[in-house]
Amino acid sequence: MSALLRLALASAWNRRLSLGLTLLAVMLAATLLLSVERVRQAARDGFAQSVSGSDLIVGARTSPVQLVLYSVFRLGEATNNLGWDSYQKIAADPAIAWSVPLSLGDSHRGYPVLGTTPGYFVHFHYGDRQPLRFAAGTAFAGIFDAVLGAEVAQRLGYRVGDKITLSHGDGGLPGMEHEDKPFTVTGVLAPTGTPVDRTVHVGLAAIEAIHLDWIGGAPVPGFAIGAEVVQKFDLTPKTITAFMVGLHQRGEVFRIQRRINQFADEPLLAVLPGVALDQLWQTVGVVEQALQTVSWLVLAVGLAGLMATMLAGLNERRREMAILRSLGAGPRHILFLLMLESGVISLLGCLLGLATVTLFAAFGGGLLADFGLAALPLAVDAAEMKLLGGVLVCGLLVSLLPAWRAYRLSLADGLIPRS
Amino acid sequence: MNAAAIRIDDLAFRWRPDGPLCLTLDHLAVDAGKSLFLHGPSGAGKSTLLNLIGGVLLPERGRIEVFGQPLGQLSGAGRDAFRADHLGFVFQQFNLLPWLSVLDNVLLPCRFSRRRADRAGDPAVAAKRLLAALDLDATLAGVPAAELSVGQQQRVAAARALIGRPEILIADEPTSALDTARQDAFIDLLLAEAKAAGSTVVFVSHDERLAVHFDQKFALTAGVQP
Repeated sequence: MSALLRLALASAWNRRLSLGLTLLAVMLAATLLLSVERVRQAARDGFAQSVSGSDLIVGARTSPVQLVLYSVFRLGEATNNLGWDSYQKIAADPAIAWSVPLSLGDSHRGYPVLGTTPGYFVHFHYGDRQPLRFAAGTAFAGIFDAVLGAEVAQRLGYRVGDKITLSHGDGGLPGMEHEDKPFTVTGVLAPTGTPVDRTVHVGLAAIEAIHLDWIGGAPVPGFAIGAEVVQKFDLTPKTITAFMVGLHQRGEVFRIQRRINQFADEPLLAVLPGVALDQLWQTVGVVEQALQTVSWLVLAVGLAGLMATMLAGLNERRREMAILRSLGAGPRHILFLLMLESGVISLLGCLLGLATVTLFAAFGGGLLADFGLAALPLAVDAAEMKLLGGVLVCGLLVSLLPAWRAYRLSLADGLIPRS
Repeated sequence: MNAAAIRIDDLAFRWRPDGPLCLTLDHLAVDAGKSLFLHGPSGAGKSTLLNLIGGVLLPERGRIEVFGQPLGQLSGAGRDAFRADHLGFVFQQFNLLPWLSVLDNVLLPCRFSRRRADRAGDPAVAAKRLLAALDLDATLAGVPAAELSVGQQQRVAAARALIGRPEILIADEPTSALDTARQDAFIDLLLAEAKAAGSTVVFVSHDERLAVHFDQKFALTAGVQP
């Protein structure tokens, strides 16, 4: 038996080119399958943890998904704002520990601008209750101060002390710049893997200040209020886009939610971020399934390659098998040899794929950050073991056909191959 | 006592249960140490008979004994082991595993059969002695088998078949790839070494001219009587 194994090894080495290519195909398939799985997991986790620590997010009445989309992900625009006085009334509830107003609508070179209060940097959490950290500088203090998300600062090359100007709306129209009122960068946040990285943070008063001389979404011609005199105006906002709420007692969340949803002065909506994020993920889940389907297809292609290589190799191996039989090998040994070969290739493919993914997870983190993904998990979990086991089983199943054919051939050929 | 090395009685074989008979044979016996020349036209069942003697196929009817051992009484694995221990084969061509060296090819039977290894004494020495006896240069031992000429390959195959002195040497048209002048030389070498090893020889060919070299001659006829 050991003689047979040694011969099998020598025979495989003799066919190392085609076997190597097959191994490569299986390895790539396993790599793809594993990385899709990990990216999916990381995306899902990152997504579900875009905001944590807030018990409720409140905005003008719309759909919960819509509210989360624009308030958390800064995607799309709010159809309606809510009144500052409503916010004040709700925030005064003794059950509410803290609240942070959010005001959206302007942008800086494609990145959304968020008007908020310094409390944002204290109360906003992401991931597993991680607070925001400053990579440099501090929170805004003056009216025309700005704090940049990590990606904004990195992509646009800003540092603390730089001057930036904001654009009205999404910045798509010319002449809609707030260029008369430049901002000074006072802080840059550390990367979070959440939409915070893509946000320019300014004070609520700043949003008011840059729109003082604007009416109906456009600057009033011949009327300008200089940056130096804005202090003389009342910079309390009349409306905000949404606000985040933290409670003293988590148990009261449904009571407060009901109270806000039934608020008499204007129609409001309060959502639990986790629930809304889950709903949103359901709609994004189609992409996830498509990704998985593609990687399974790639695996199928890799295994089909394995089968084709083995089948194509059979004819030239008939003589080899006849020689082995004359030396005392039985047909079952032939069957075993072929199954062993494809089994080893599948196993090696899985291991190499795993190694590739692990190396990538360990050293390719920077690349992933560009896609807004947190670091991939390094360790193999049970789901991945199942996946790899599946690949292995598929590899063995696929080799059944060529192995069975070789078995039949060696039975029919006996000692004299009819080629 | 001069026991029969191979004894076949009342043999019938067909490939498929509902197909025609491919081979029938009333009686054939070869004495130990003798050489048999087996000839017949293509399709007469020569290869089938070798597969039957080798224990790769089982007859539908009849009895094959090799040194008193009825092959039909052995299991499949038993016949495989029996073949490894007692039979050496030389085929028409492509006898060697091209990626192994000449020496490793010759040593193959000793790796698969304990008995052959034991009977060879020191297998490497025995292999080199056989190669030398078969007119192969000692420098060829380490060369990959694929680099040899056809004539050299057939002599390496003969060395492989004879290592460990198997009781029976089966040669299936081993000279058909050689030119006429070299055929006789090859057969003489093969028979001399088989005699030295004490092996009984079954030599198959369609070329009746070669029969003069052998003790015994048997004709398989095409077209089987039902």
